[in-house]
Amino acid sequence: MIRDSDDVIVKTLARLLMPFIVGFALYVLMHGHHSPGGGFQGGVILAAGFVLLCVSFGLQWTQRWMTRKTAELFSSIGVFIYGGIGVLCLILGGNYLDYGRLSRVLGVDVAEARSLGILGVEIGVALAVMAVMCTLFFMIFTAVDESGGQGGEQ
Amino acid sequence: MTTFFLFIGIAMCVLVLLCLYRATMGPNVLNRTAGISAIGTKTLIILLIMGIVYDRIDMFVDISMVYALLNFIGCLVLAKYLERSREVSC
Repeated sequence: MIRDSDDVIVKTLARLLMPFIVGFALYVLMHGHHSPGGGFQGGVILAAGFVLLCVSFGLQWTQRWMTRKTAELFSSIGVFIYGGIGVLCLILGGNYLDYGRLSRVLGVDVAEARSLGILGVEIGVALAVMAVMCTLFFMIFTAVDESGGQGGEQ
Repeated sequence: MTTFFLFIGIAMCVLVLLCLYRATMGPNVLNRTAGISAIGTKTLIILLIMGIVYDRIDMFVDISMVYALLNFIGCLVLAKYLERSREVSC
């Protein structure tokens, strides 16, 4: 179990840095089509901010907001958004992930419907990637503790 | 001006090799950690210089910001691991 860090510098830096990390992740996510980035990269930056919180404030404190079950739920929701947009295009008479068909549902013209469809898919990908990264982090850092090899301090 | 930045970039690459020597051959874990951290900061500068040389600085600033962020978090996690696992023998 990662314990609470008693270092003031690390805690203050994490508290100051966290809003910028989330804001930058959202920027990378939204500007995926005209700058480097996209859903996967935005999700990885979100998960990195989560790892920073976990390292500086301890696993117990972080698990009040994000337990392993919540992470698994979020990964399912992300995959559901991705697949749901694809199947919605299929229902409306196009191919799978053919965003132009969404213009009838959203009430905008075809070009803007394509842009919005790509944005929706990228939000789904970001949610899934963030949740899977958090699940991996939990699995790694609790497996070490259960074996009793490393965490002999308690 | 591009030639100037190009030569600065080449000098930075040579400095990265020196830091890599310290990171692989370091006597203990703390030297390796410091070497890896120095390589991270130098890579950030090299990315920005590449952005100036290729005239796409707006793209490379994003990449270097993410690199700095991940470098910081990686160093923090490594320090946390060393704090737990008493491997540091200075």
